[in-house]
Amino acid sequence: MEPIGADIVLKTLLEEGVDVIFGYPGANTLPLNDRMADSTIRHYLMRHEQAAAHAADGYARATGKVGVCLATSGPGATNLVTGIATAYMDSTPMVAITAQVNSDLWGRDAFQETDIIGITMPITKHSFMIRDANQIASSLRQAFQLASTGRTGPVLVDIPKDILSARCGEQPKKAPKAQPKRIENREQLERIAQALNRSERPVILIGGGVKLGDACTQMSEFIQKAQVPFVTTMMGIGSVASANGFNLGFIGTHGNELANRMIHQSDFILALGARFTERSTSVIDEFAPLATVAQIDIDPTSIGKNVKVDFPFVGDIQEALAALLPLIVPRERNAWLERIRTDRQTLEEKLTDGGCGQAGSLIRKIQAAMPRETIVVSDVGLNQIWTVRTWQTHSPRSLLTSGGMGTMGFSVPAAIGARVGAPDREVVVICGDGGFYMNIQELATISAYGLPIKVVVINNGHLGMIRQIQDLFYDARFTTSDLGDRVDLTAVAKGFGVPAERVAVDEDPTEAIARMSAAAGPYMLEAMVDQNQYVYPIIPPGCSNVEMICGK
Amino acid sequence: MAIEEHTISLLVNNQPGVLSRIAGVFSSRGYNIRSLCVAETTNPEISRITLTSKAESDFTEKIKKQLDKLVDVVSVTDFTGAPSVQREMMLISLRLTEENRKEILRAIDVFGCRVIAMSEDYLIMEITANKDKTAAILRYFEPFGVEEMNRTGAIAVFRQKRDE
Ligand SMILES: Cc1ncc(C[n+]2csc(CCOP(=O)(O)OP(=O)(O)O)c2C)c(N)n1
Ligand SMILES: [Mg+2]
Repeated sequence: MEPIGADIVLKTLLEEGVDVIFGYPGANTLPLNDRMADSTIRHYLMRHEQAAAHAADGYARATGKVGVCLATSGPGATNLVTGIATAYMDSTPMVAITAQVNSDLWGRDAFQETDIIGITMPITKHSFMIRDANQIASSLRQAFQLASTGRTGPVLVDIPKDILSARCGEQPKKAPKAQPKRIENREQLERIAQALNRSERPVILIGGGVKLGDACTQMSEFIQKAQVPFVTTMMGIGSVASANGFNLGFIGTHGNELANRMIHQSDFILALGARFTERSTSVIDEFAPLATVAQIDIDPTSIGKNVKVDFPFVGDIQEALAALLPLIVPRERNAWLERIRTDRQTLEEKLTDGGCGQAGSLIRKIQAAMPRETIVVSDVGLNQIWTVRTWQTHSPRSLLTSGGMGTMGFSVPAAIGARVGAPDREVVVICGDGGFYMNIQELATISAYGLPIKVVVINNGHLGMIRQIQDLFYDARFTTSDLGDRVDLTAVAKGFGVPAERVAVDEDPTEAIARMSAAAGPYMLEAMVDQNQYVYPIIPPGCSNVEMICGK
Repeated sequence: MAIEEHTISLLVNNQPGVLSRIAGVFSSRGYNIRSLCVAETTNPEISRITLTSKAESDFTEKIKKQLDKLVDVVSVTDFTGAPSVQREMMLISLRLTEENRKEILRAIDVFGCRVIAMSEDYLIMEITANKDKTAAILRYFEPFGVEEMNRTGAIAVFRQKRDE
């Protein structure tokens, strides 16, 4: 049988190391779905294209490989948009393949024709419109290359149905991968090392780029040698084990008070793979007023985007750290470390349960009941902050969360991708009732494939984070944030074929958690939490990182 | 930061969609493109885009980095402040009357414009000059009643090879 475009797509994907696709078919993807019957690539049939994109994202975050999703033209493609944007904001390597209407119909407002390349232009690294079957292999290879190198991110490939169906001959062989550039600007790294060596109150700021650049081992080594305390952004959590003695926590609006205080007092910041968004810095003019800043990032546009940088360095973080390590002279900074020690102590005494109340203790119990290598996937809202502040990470790819985009509904489908990518690890979802509704249909996917994912819904009957903001900053006028208590979520989960139970967190949830962790298959735990349980401290809008408040 | 006019020149792959990606870099950051000129280079696979935009003085550096990131952008050059020759072409059509005809023809001569078409009561001229000069010429002719004006926006080349 002479190969058609669809065969070339599958063959090229295989060559790129793809073994799974998360997708949803339509008439225009069918040539591809049809040929999957003869391919070793597994296609996971999701229940919504948004979920397919989040699953590909979760797969990539859990494995470090490029995640692949597939959708049909028109509504299928537009349903991917939120998932692609989520991946873009957190720089997840991803290739989204969309089928397009036949090329002779372009521009005629044909049935299910949309300009998906135009729609996704601001949320992709690049995109390809395939115009000829002979371009399929080369464009797809380029898409994988782009998605997985430099600052990683999503790339979209749009392929018309007629090209998927077209007979085509042998495609050109795979070109050898370009060698990554070696470090050019060594002197700048020497300057950074000198500045760090000279500093009295240094802090390392770890962003998501450290994980993306596969530099976590080097990062831990560096911290150990330099004996310098570190803070992270939310995306940087997990790069270095939580239990590391130099860990001050994560900075920003919902961050740890210790981290916010110490970066504010620092005289030198070494930032790696962090772009200093306002979520992390709060009011930018008041951020770390005493510090000189060195910033290392693979993306030149991230450097100096938000803060003034004294020592910029563009390059691969792993290589930069390897080059920096021998230049670091460990020195005693007793006054600084002592100040941190005492502050840590006072703050811990002030803040019981790390500011996460009932939910915090629930999450600690869940972690205690699960194996050490468990992957936790959070949703967005209070549940996210409770999770990222409470969960103790031991390895880099074990806490997945939508940071830059803050996409509610991310957790359940991303967990599917994570589990498919890491079948030896347990996967726990922690989400809010609001976010749970947003991709609730994916319980059907979990149940259809028998994926043993544990879904914990922290049910406070409200859009809790919105409610907290209203409580604090809108005179407690609670409009539009009440989800009510009329839905029996355990019955819904059971309806999807997922065993479920409800537990009140203020009664002891330990046994319910034990039943969940012992379950061989999927499980849903609905944990009832009081609507007035919030996250503290929090930085009010318009305030600096040291103006955290602990209540009204 | 001071607001100034920047002239940027890009070499890009001659492909559909490239211009909208470039426009997106400007529009998503709230910058307005004031003039834009696109044409193939001696290599038909590569086009040159010359554009101008008004912005703060660190604009070019930031925008340049963003443009450099686009896959289809081959190179980005900033002409702002560099020794360069810049030209734009302008076409002006005017109504001629008994009273103004002489003065208009004299001015055309003085400014070095070219008359492209002329009849009893109507004239079209062409001017190629740098933007300051085209602006001054336009200002001069405006009181005579400019019927139509159209201009290309700037194109530029460096005055010397940059590595000299
Ligand atoms: C798709 C989406 N829509 C809206 C928001 C704005 N938002 C942020 S947190 C939040 C409330 C989340 O409620 P829930 O999922 O119940 O979590 P909780 O805060 O109660 O833990 C909302 C609406 C968002 N982040 N994402
Ligand atoms: Mg809620």
